[in-house]
Amino acid sequence: MVTLAAARAGQNDQTRVLDLAFPGDAEQAPFSRADLVVSGVGHSALSYEVRVFLNNPDATAETPRSPEQGYGGRYTVFGHGGCYGDEGHCDVPAASDDVTDLRPEHPLTPFTTYVTITEALQRVLAAGQVLRTITLVPVSLTPRRADRAPAPELLDLDDVSLQTYLTTTDAAQVTTA
Amino acid sequence: MGVRKNVNGLTPAELVELRDAFDASYQLADDRGYGFHAGIHGLPLPMYCRHGSILFLPWHRAYLYFFERALTDVLRAARGDQTVRVSLPWWDWSSDATHSQGVPTAYQATDNAANPLSAGPVVLGPSDLQLVRDNLPGAISAGDDPVTLRDPDDPDELPRQATVARALSSTTFAGFSQILEGIHNGVHGWVGGAMSAVPIAAFDPIFWAHHSMIDRLWYLWQLSPRGRNPPASLLDRALPPFPMTVRQTLDISTLGYEYAAQVIG
Repeated sequence: MVTLAAARAGQNDQTRVLDLAFPGDAEQAPFSRADLVVSGVGHSALSYEVRVFLNNPDATAETPRSPEQGYGGRYTVFGHGGCYGDEGHCDVPAASDDVTDLRPEHPLTPFTTYVTITEALQRVLAAGQVLRTITLVPVSLTPRRADRAPAPELLDLDDVSLQTYLTTTDAAQVTTA
Repeated sequence: MGVRKNVNGLTPAELVELRDAFDASYQLADDRGYGFHAGIHGLPLPMYCRHGSILFLPWHRAYLYFFERALTDVLRAARGDQTVRVSLPWWDWSSDATHSQGVPTAYQATDNAANPLSAGPVVLGPSDLQLVRDNLPGAISAGDDPVTLRDPDDPDELPRQATVARALSSTTFAGFSQILEGIHNGVHGWVGGAMSAVPIAAFDPIFWAHHSMIDRLWYLWQLSPRGRNPPASLLDRALPPFPMTVRQTLDISTLGYEYAAQVIG
């Protein structure tokens, strides 16, 4: 696990590069699925997407989302675009340990999401390499497309971890028709 | 039993009914009307919607249920016909048609007549409107009676069928909900305009077709061998402001609607 606070600035200070090694100290176990799990995601500001690149610390918003560039996937945050209440309205209170507190959680409570990077990670390993870095490239999703731009200020998360699984179900297909 | 259909499969008469129902709801300023229902999701405060939460799917199923019922009510009143019924169509943004077309024709502006599905009135007070204009330029139109705007991206940037299939291969409710909500978030951003921000997204009529697709995918996953109920500890959770629990959202047949089979070609 790597915290956002431990990440370093990437190109033009518009991205964040995390030193996330795989395999780590332990021997690599086989996996059929690999998820980049992102915890503590804030969603109070503008909507934004975060593009994920493996072993490409120089990636930017202009970098093609292609296997050659180490692109692994993206996640999107559906944001509020600011606070619409009085001062303090959007401050998320600490989780309560009061069992009689039946109120729903604050709407802006940070959440956990993930990006499945199985194929991208397998490509790295198949090339005889190891995973060294994850680059997070945040891009705003403003109402007007013309306003969309690299947005490091929107990147709001606690930490990122890599979780691998060995399952029999991931390759299965479910028909949607 | 109401039948929700693919928006591209609506008959001309069904599309007229849908448009008439939305138009009739726009005319009502009370708690039967569009502004009231759209405002439950975001502005005006309080914002009831659940995002980044394991209640995302049940809450939005309840939301669509009450709005769909309200649409039928207003159309019946407008036409003086107690037999007419409106069902919310789904917008399959993963389909080949959408990946070439983008926003469905039924929801696009027309040259010769106003299409109530192309934009919705943003019924908010002056202070909320000012905040929206300050925080989210390009989300709503100018003037005293603003409507929602859109600025859609390249259609091929919409979620692909393989992504949907990956969601449907989930083996836990939490995992399914997380991946489906992520897909959902991307579509909000793709449409742009009002849809790109939680506080005003539901004022855009396409919101309901988007969420009908999300709800349909939950339904399909429920039917699949991998479908699971939410954790037992959640089943009796309320879904404010709706008088409904998570448990009451699980079987859509008890809510009086179903999804038509997808027709390809």
